[in-house]
Amino acid sequence: MHEVLIALILGTGLLLAGLTMLIAGNKTSREVREALDRRRRSLLEPAVFQYAQATGHRSIHDYLPKPLSRRDRRLTERILLDAARIVKGEARDRVTAAFEALGSVRAAIQGLRSHRWWRRAEAAERLGLMRSRTAVDPLVAAMNDPEEEVRIRAARALGIVRGNTSIRPLVRALADPSRWSAIRVAEILISVGDEAVEELLLAYDGLPHHARVSVLDVLGRIRTLKAVPLMRRSLKDPHPDLRARAAHGLGRIGDPAFADDLLAALRDPEWPMRAMVAKALGRTQAKPAIPALCEALKDREWWVRANAGEALRALGPEGRDALIRMLDADDTYARHQAVAQLEEGRIIDEYVADLGSADPARREAAVRFVEKIIALRRVDRLTQQSIENTQEAVRSALAQILRRSPQEGS
Amino acid sequence: MIVQSALAGIVLAFNRVVIYYFALLNGVYVILFLISLFEVVRFVKRTFFSDYEQILRSDMTWPISVIVPAHNEARTIVETIRSLLNVNYGQFEVIVVNDGSTDDTLRRLIETFDLKRTDKIYRRTLPTGPVRALYGALEIPNLLVVDKERSGKADALNAGINVSRYPLYCSVDADSVIEENALLRVVKPFMEHPEEMVAVGGIVRIVNGCEVREGWVARIGLPRRPLPIFQVVEYLRAFLSGRIGWSTLRSLLIISGAFGLYRKSEVIAVGGYDRLSETEDLQLVLKLHESLRRKGRRYRIVFVPDPVCWTEVPTTFRVLARQRNRWHRGLLQSLWRHRKMILRPRYGVIGTLALPYFVVFETLGPFIEILGYVMVALSWFLGLLNTDFFLLFMIFAIFFGVFLSVAAVLLEEISFRRYPGWEHLAILVIVAVVENFGYRQILSLLKVKAFWDFLLRRGAWGRMEREGFRPAPPPEPRPTRS
Repeated sequence: MHEVLIALILGTGLLLAGLTMLIAGNKTSREVREALDRRRRSLLEPAVFQYAQATGHRSIHDYLPKPLSRRDRRLTERILLDAARIVKGEARDRVTAAFEALGSVRAAIQGLRSHRWWRRAEAAERLGLMRSRTAVDPLVAAMNDPEEEVRIRAARALGIVRGNTSIRPLVRALADPSRWSAIRVAEILISVGDEAVEELLLAYDGLPHHARVSVLDVLGRIRTLKAVPLMRRSLKDPHPDLRARAAHGLGRIGDPAFADDLLAALRDPEWPMRAMVAKALGRTQAKPAIPALCEALKDREWWVRANAGEALRALGPEGRDALIRMLDADDTYARHQAVAQLEEGRIIDEYVADLGSADPARREAAVRFVEKIIALRRVDRLTQQSIENTQEAVRSALAQILRRSPQEGS
Repeated sequence: MIVQSALAGIVLAFNRVVIYYFALLNGVYVILFLISLFEVVRFVKRTFFSDYEQILRSDMTWPISVIVPAHNEARTIVETIRSLLNVNYGQFEVIVVNDGSTDDTLRRLIETFDLKRTDKIYRRTLPTGPVRALYGALEIPNLLVVDKERSGKADALNAGINVSRYPLYCSVDADSVIEENALLRVVKPFMEHPEEMVAVGGIVRIVNGCEVREGWVARIGLPRRPLPIFQVVEYLRAFLSGRIGWSTLRSLLIISGAFGLYRKSEVIAVGGYDRLSETEDLQLVLKLHESLRRKGRRYRIVFVPDPVCWTEVPTTFRVLARQRNRWHRGLLQSLWRHRKMILRPRYGVIGTLALPYFVVFETLGPFIEILGYVMVALSWFLGLLNTDFFLLFMIFAIFFGVFLSVAAVLLEEISFRRYPGWEHLAILVIVAVVENFGYRQILSLLKVKAFWDFLLRRGAWGRMEREGFRPAPPPEPRPTRS
């Protein structure tokens, strides 16, 4: 038994020494590598930027030291990758040409065939930054990679490289079961913009449910009128999330002509749909929606009431008047939501300021308004104004009204 | 003579039990470490910074309500809220719940952020103690302060959930600061598995010894005092070796109350936080597991090692003892409440592996360790002590303990490297050795005491005495942002 224990102690001791050396070795090698890279990079960077800003036909090789060591090649590629994120116009084309001349594009395309998935993902990410058209076909092929991370980075790279052949696989990638993938592909398609619309509309009916949600979202964010018929049709879809996404999309496009469709949808049995429709109505700036939005202030769901209130606030003076009228509504929640919106829109502050106005009509209107708010027992903002308002006349008038007015339920 | 021989029999039998127990416990630790090593490498490989840029920019990223319960946190609350208001995230709100503080917590908040009473109406989905007032700031529309009567952290969190607007909420302790990208990182699992993800825990690191400026950790350092520095190694071991391992096995039982992101609807469905629990975070996660397993739902509760929350830890033995007493009593309380899950295959790995582990090793472990020391003394008294064997066994046990701690330091070095200096690394390795001589034994004793208190139903939260964050001196070093 003693021998076993001694062996175990020696084994653990060796393991421990090994671990400590591994930690120290890892840190040393990393720090040495980083220091050498930093020094070498400071020499290479000016050459690379000189190349990027030049206008002639000289290759990147003409600017770099010869022969180019492996470390220099790697560092140059890294500098170019950093530059690729920020440069625009002709400099961007020159950066792409530099990647091709250095063999980085070829190496990254080979990297897409690595048996380690993270190498493939990294290669796809690099190809996106390199923006070489020669990478389109390999990236399209990478869209069928078994690993989600690789597929998504290939999709993103395709979105950046932008060949016509790249849009169809991107639209197909919206069907990826992960929301994260869908989000990333959706962002890519949005950045593609109008060029993606035809493919999205053509593909819609053949896509699974969650991908349709993404398509409607993308179309709404591209704000294309070509998508309006599809969105109008989707407002009547049996799936509430498709209906809601269509309403959201119409709101994004923001044409008042959609008001009738949206008003009909405001009676939807699902509250998330009603909330989305209320928000969309605010965005379309459709004044005829005001009565329906006032009614939506009485909805039993907070989100619907809040969105309806915000929509009314977004509708300008008419919406604001409607909110003030809603202070007399028979529904407590509607009254309170109206006060909340008036407070958030600083309309309460405007009326309070009118208490010090020289115009008696304005002063009288302000008094009536303030009394209504007090009657609803939403006095916090008023109390605060009665202490902090910069005008003495306003402070004393407000304090006087606050003292004499009865409050709802009291 | 008969008594002596009976005692000798007991001692020898116990020694055998201790050896098997020791082998089994350390076997579990090694397995957890190996799983964690594999997972950490995988995690680092699949982390691309561009992902976080995309989460930040996307309109489809879930908005988050950050809930900060605060009771007598005047020393740190302003820094904490500043750090939260400045996080790198699209849409979020910060809700501070002042849980009946008797110090200046509320006043400091009101003065610093120019808060005014507000009339916000909300639905009381979860029952809570009385709310006195809500405060908001027109200039900071995403900050809301709930002032309520004292009824405990769990109740404060429930009040925060009631007033929150968004589908995900993040609980953050008032004595903590989170890194700039922490929300982006912690929400990523929700984006990757939107249907299944229920809760995500982030890593908690120790802020003692760091310099904090305007709510950010401006310079990372190690504490100088022995107790906090022991806790640094302990936290590294617990988070990097323990939680990653359990999370990979889909049986994570603890998401630290200092920093965790939850799906609000699921938390409401289980009735929110338990007001009577000593450790409301553990209790909530167990409730979620139990409820979701019973419903046969596919779900995930995971730990991600890179969203960092920096928190203050006790610096005096008295406060540490109180904190550990409460933690251990909370563990015992939760295990007792969920005892029906233990060894029930219906609850999957949680019922068959994780909970039994906590019962056998976390609950009974300290007893066996302390009894072990008693037995050594008894063996010596009875003349049964084989000194050579005892010394060899002790050396092996200490070596193994050091190995596990150094392994956690290795995980840190190959992955996140938050402690950048050579001196940090050297100190961590030295502390990994030194903590085996006293600190770990004291923790075991505290757990035994907690068990006793649990049986006697004694205990309270106790006061965490804050030193406050160490301010960064001018001139400005580069802020550490993940």
